[in-house]
Amino acid sequence: MEKQMENGSDRVVLKVEKLRIHYATPQGDVIAVSDISFNLYEGETLGLVGESGCGKSTTAYGILQLVQPPGYIVNGSIEVDGTEVLNLSEEELRKFRWTGLSLIPQGAMNSLNPTMRVKDQIIDVIESHEGEKQSKEQLRDRIYGLFQNVGLPNRIYDMYPHELSGGMKQRVCIAMGVALNPTVVIADEATSALDVVVQRIVAQTLVKVKDEIGVSLIVIGHDMGLLAQIVDRIAVMYAGKMVEIAPVENIYAEPLHPYTRLLIDSIPSIKERKPLKITEGITHDPRNPPSGCIFRLRCPFAWEHCAEVEPAPIDADYKHEVACHLYDERFEERRANAFATFANP
Amino acid sequence: MGGISLNYLLRRLLVFFLTLWVAATLIFIIPRLAPGDPIAAMVARLSYQAGFVENSGAIIEGWKERFGLNDPVYVQYFRYLGGLLQGDLGFSMARFPSTVTELVGRALPWTIGLVGVATAIFFVVGNLFGALLAWNKTPRLVKVLIPMSMIFTSIPPLLAGLLLSYTFAFLLGWFPQTYSYGFGMTPGLTLEFIANVIHHGFLPAMAIVIVTFGYWALGMRGMMVTIEGEDYMILAQAKGLKPFYVLYRYMIRNAILPQMTALAVSIGTLVNGVVLVEVIFNYNGMGTLIVTALREQDFGLIQGTSFILIVTSALAVLIIDLSYPLIDPRISLEGR
Repeated sequence: MEKQMENGSDRVVLKVEKLRIHYATPQGDVIAVSDISFNLYEGETLGLVGESGCGKSTTAYGILQLVQPPGYIVNGSIEVDGTEVLNLSEEELRKFRWTGLSLIPQGAMNSLNPTMRVKDQIIDVIESHEGEKQSKEQLRDRIYGLFQNVGLPNRIYDMYPHELSGGMKQRVCIAMGVALNPTVVIADEATSALDVVVQRIVAQTLVKVKDEIGVSLIVIGHDMGLLAQIVDRIAVMYAGKMVEIAPVENIYAEPLHPYTRLLIDSIPSIKERKPLKITEGITHDPRNPPSGCIFRLRCPFAWEHCAEVEPAPIDADYKHEVACHLYDERFEERRANAFATFANP
Repeated sequence: MGGISLNYLLRRLLVFFLTLWVAATLIFIIPRLAPGDPIAAMVARLSYQAGFVENSGAIIEGWKERFGLNDPVYVQYFRYLGGLLQGDLGFSMARFPSTVTELVGRALPWTIGLVGVATAIFFVVGNLFGALLAWNKTPRLVKVLIPMSMIFTSIPPLLAGLLLSYTFAFLLGWFPQTYSYGFGMTPGLTLEFIANVIHHGFLPAMAIVIVTFGYWALGMRGMMVTIEGEDYMILAQAKGLKPFYVLYRYMIRNAILPQMTALAVSIGTLVNGVVLVEVIFNYNGMGTLIVTALREQDFGLIQGTSFILIVTSALAVLIIDLSYPLIDPRISLEGR
């Protein structure tokens, strides 16, 4: 019960259902995101991890309605606080943006308009959503407040982006992202372009700001170590599918899905170098995914059943789902055997 | 912060004056390499008109002395440079005793006005059309019409001038065919005179605009497409800004920077086109003056007009150069 309290409330602020995103190519559609469903709870920080190209960023951009051509959303439902985002008209969507869903972008280095002062880029988002009724002084004080939240000095107010360091630009993006107190903030690899020290500070800033303002946060990244320190739950994606979503303590203590298991086993420790475990098997053609389970070609435990039936998410624990046949009650015996051999190869 | 330091300004001015000096020297040398004696030619022309000119040999000698053509070349050169520094471009040989400064002074304002207005129009129209071609919210019809309006881009200004002159001045008679204002008019700052000048200048300006703006539109379109792929465009979309605001504050504002550079580079070419257009419309500017000077082998006038055109082009480039820090905050012209 105590653990449940830690994981925040049970109110769902973002509900993604059967979201499917394709990229059109002359040789057929590449399936980037394949029928993903998950919930984001109020005040929660969810980490979205996976290899490059697994569709984590595409999922984020799909939620934000920012999938760039030739990508397009095939089907699905995205509900933010009960609003179905996919049904909004263009003008409604424009007004919904940044108040409902905001983005802390991947390439913070190039995400600020080089010909506008920092203040103007924050003011424009405030004024396009709240009108131009606030005085210059009010806006300035409000932006100073945002700067303070993210640890930026006031002197950058009148500066241009090229006069800031990478870490500062990233903080400006965080300040901008929370300027309108959005319901959900999506941070797309917000720390990837920074060095390790700055990365950590920016990640901590992100969590601090999130806690102060009380938004729900989705953090996309591939650094499991960094994510473990800042998120409540982790969702693991593989080839456009969400294979496991679990509270962060669960996933490190006892990963369930074979892919997660291999991933966690590959994290090197300071005492021991470890080879990457996920090297066997072939990756499939994303235009033509294998039948049944998406991971079966590389999975050490796969058997005939995996090729026939696609695994549905199974509730393994509180807020913990896994999409693997091994956790089907019918195959309990197989699971015990499989993991016994795996532990002592 | 963006700005210009004194050091940079001085260096840039040094380059400017160096350009003028090189230009002046070349202008001095090149006509002297051409075959023929301008004074003999002029006297010959006089004799041809009058049938006979008394003491032609003495006249030639006298004029050569008057224009200093008997002095050694280096003396002529330094006298010429000294004159330039004082704004004295010498005498026109064909229209003696008019000075070149006087003739240029009468023609230059017209050309600057014509080129200035034409440049302003094609730069604004071209970039606006280019931006609209690339913008994803532009109505489909506009995207079809704009490329159709650019069909004149591939023809030379000379032909465009002839075409406009023939159609609108000769056939339709909507616009006057020649000169910069009506012959009965007294120049002055009256509404009537200004209207008359605009009426006369319209076709020459259009001849320049219709052949030029398509080039700018295509360049702008290319820049806009590049900008569309920038990270800050995705963020602008995510921010839910108003589409028109994104167009001018995020897209055009960034796409226009390379266009300004291109404008500085193209000023030389632009002047070429203007000379021809002026001749077609018999517009009393620098172009017509240069062609007259060439036809009459008027050394003084050729030197003077060429030099003034180079000065104005160099000045225009200098102004665009120095205005970079104002339009692009990333550029600061601070000397090392």
